[in-house]
Amino acid sequence: MTYAQVGVIGAGTMGAGIAFVCARQGHNVLLLDMNEAVLKKAQSYVASILAKDVSKGKITERQKEEIYERISPISDMQKLYGCDMVIEAVSERLELKKSIFSSLANICREDTLLLTNTSSISITEIAGGIKSPERIIGFHFFNPAPVMPLIEVIRGKKSSDENVEKAYQFAENLGKVPVLVNDTPGFIVNRVARPYYNEALRITGDQVASIEQIDTIMKKAGGFKMGPFELQDMIGIDINFATTESVYTNFFHEGRFKPSRIQQRMVQAGSLGRKSGEGFYEYSE
Amino acid sequence: MNTVSNAVLLAGNSPLYSELKILLESKGYSVLSFEQADEHKHEIRLAIEVNNLDLDIKKSTIKQMDMLLPANVPILTSSLAITATEAASWTEYSERVCGFGTFVPLIERSLIEVAPALQSTPLIVEQVKSFFDVLGKESEIVEDEVGLVFPRILSLIINEAAFAVMEGTATPEDIDIAMKKGTNYPYGPLEWGDRIGLDEVFAVVKGLHRDLAEERYRPAPLLRKLVLADRVGVRSGRGFYSYEKQEVYQP
Repeated sequence: MTYAQVGVIGAGTMGAGIAFVCARQGHNVLLLDMNEAVLKKAQSYVASILAKDVSKGKITERQKEEIYERISPISDMQKLYGCDMVIEAVSERLELKKSIFSSLANICREDTLLLTNTSSISITEIAGGIKSPERIIGFHFFNPAPVMPLIEVIRGKKSSDENVEKAYQFAENLGKVPVLVNDTPGFIVNRVARPYYNEALRITGDQVASIEQIDTIMKKAGGFKMGPFELQDMIGIDINFATTESVYTNFFHEGRFKPSRIQQRMVQAGSLGRKSGEGFYEYSE
Repeated sequence: MNTVSNAVLLAGNSPLYSELKILLESKGYSVLSFEQADEHKHEIRLAIEVNNLDLDIKKSTIKQMDMLLPANVPILTSSLAITATEAASWTEYSERVCGFGTFVPLIERSLIEVAPALQSTPLIVEQVKSFFDVLGKESEIVEDEVGLVFPRILSLIINEAAFAVMEGTATPEDIDIAMKKGTNYPYGPLEWGDRIGLDEVFAVVKGLHRDLAEERYRPAPLLRKLVLADRVGVRSGRGFYSYEKQEVYQP
């Protein structure tokens, strides 16, 4: 693939990270956000990653400048008309995503690949009723996008084979490891990982073992890098609970995904993990 | 010193059997089968029973141990598919029964979970803990529930991955890659299941479903069928993946 023109919509942590990943591979990026302050923050985020890469000797000062220059902040969606692919990374609101793809279907060339970085909304639902749904593909990065190697390439009901293949190759081109998934709740990771959190919560709720014991056991007996409770504290207990709820709802209340009341109480109490100073563990300054 | 006094009676058809035998012998224990146990029954310090999938065999093995051994000899039973409390309920001297549970390979387990039955005496639990110390394994005491902690959580992850394969959500390879690259698992769940033995994994899920009777623990039909077809993973040459040995052709 020659260098492409890539549009990234939404300049939050995810969008900024994705823009960086694309620019690092040599692509030119138009980073779109309606909020000027968010765009500024995204640029300083990219600058800070680049500065670290320079100090680690991964890139030269000149490469740093080049990568930085490849990302152009914009606030007008019309400017995305010439893009080869657009990656949408706005917040997880169905109506917002649908309105974006509905506009993109008119603005972009007919062969522009339209990718959505959703973690929990059905690709089929996002593409439903939108012109040319065959080019709308799920493209799920993991946080932090510059570091995590995986991309779930998700085939919606109307995604074409050809476009899925293009998206897969684009993921490889970005230096990532793609996997192919059909459009099902939670895709692969957020679905298959559910028991790691949910069953740990159930086990402690039933007083079979304490939170500390479960974390110790999963690391020392299981070889996991982090225990389920310290991991929830890192992810954010609210985020983790929302993911479980979404998978549970979208599987029409299949019992395997039933959320935990213990986790819900943590969210209600504002004990969200590291970011709130306490979750399953205490975090001092 | 009589070396036979370091005797352990070991029985069961879990893949843990052979690994435990090697570990025990490397620590200076003599490992006895039922056939050898009869004439040494007063020298046996501990019995270990490792059956998981077939609960009828498990029951008869534990009963046989209980009848054979003096009442103060601890019986350590694998509580992956059934609670230690239920296993103890099959015995005459139920206070000497204690549960434990883990998966192969033992070399990757620096810690082993111990689950005392409701009937277990504190003395028996102490003996079991010091026994694992001698084997060079840390132990963690948890309450007695099917599958304990690690085997229960991992089996349910593998079960979920099996549902995803069955439904055609993704290939086994892609599911394994996703879990390693997207969330840092040490192994993909399906290759992990193949290494542990899918019969062991199925025994845990089936046991949870049997005891807790919730849809949450429903075994994936594909997992059940693979076990019925003896495609239990690396051990049988085939599971979610194929491990058939290449025939070496010599002209």
